[in-house]
Amino acid sequence: MKGRRRTEAEALLERADASLLEIIDHVLNKGVMIQGEVILGVAGVDLVYLRLDALLCAADKLLGPRGGR
Amino acid sequence: MIGLYAIARGAPDGLPGAAGEPLRVLSHLGLELVYGEPSPPLSEEALRAHEAAVRRIADGSQACLPARFGSCARGEADLRERIGRRAPELLDALELVRGREQMTLRVLGPQEPEPSAGGPGTRYLEGRRRAQALPELEPLRSALSGLIRAERVEPHGQPGLLASVYHLIDRGAAEGYRQRLEPALPGGLRVSVSGPWPAWSFVPELS
Repeated sequence: MKGRRRTEAEALLERADASLLEIIDHVLNKGVMIQGEVILGVAGVDLVYLRLDALLCAADKLLGPRGGR
Repeated sequence: MIGLYAIARGAPDGLPGAAGEPLRVLSHLGLELVYGEPSPPLSEEALRAHEAAVRRIADGSQACLPARFGSCARGEADLRERIGRRAPELLDALELVRGREQMTLRVLGPQEPEPSAGGPGTRYLEGRRRAQALPELEPLRSALSGLIRAERVEPHGQPGLLASVYHLIDRGAAEGYRQRLEPALPGGLRVSVSGPWPAWSFVPELS
């Protein structure tokens, strides 16, 4: 079960475009969190949280194919 | 289990949640706790649905602090207890975001960090200081000065993405914000802008 969840979270991150990355960062990384009940209750969220910072650093994803100067 | 969507002021009862369920509003210590079904397993659709539901609450309220995807409690009593501990700081935050919304900037710097004297520790601290203060953004801050009500800077400490910057602006000011942003972009940096968003980044830090 754990392996399947991991795959779902990874697939989500791999196919995320700029607009989805923005949604992921706001909805999973920000906002009021109820201590103790978040993350553990939702499959795969911990993995997304850990990898998101690195993904956001991929400039091409953030700016999109037409982005840049 | 119930799922928290937002802490609000002036939130209407019965707005649709992420699964279409009618959201309920629980008043507690001057806060309105907007809740519905708990978050489903993680998926793109679930994240988009949660974001859309929070946006509906923000649009229908005077003030809205979004709740993170997956924020659940065992029931109303549990929710009251967990939120009640943080009521004073949440009330302050509600006052800050009242009638306002958020713009998000991703500030992309040079790929190679500038060489700096000193060891790795010195370079790390220097990089962190620069990311937090972001002096390169001063022209942009000046251009937007009449629009920014509050700012949060989140340094990422990696080459490429220097930092994320979150600005709180008055509702309806997003178009003017974007217009003033374009000509003010500093040289050598690239900035991607998104928004307006509900005030995701202006909730109290975890204590």
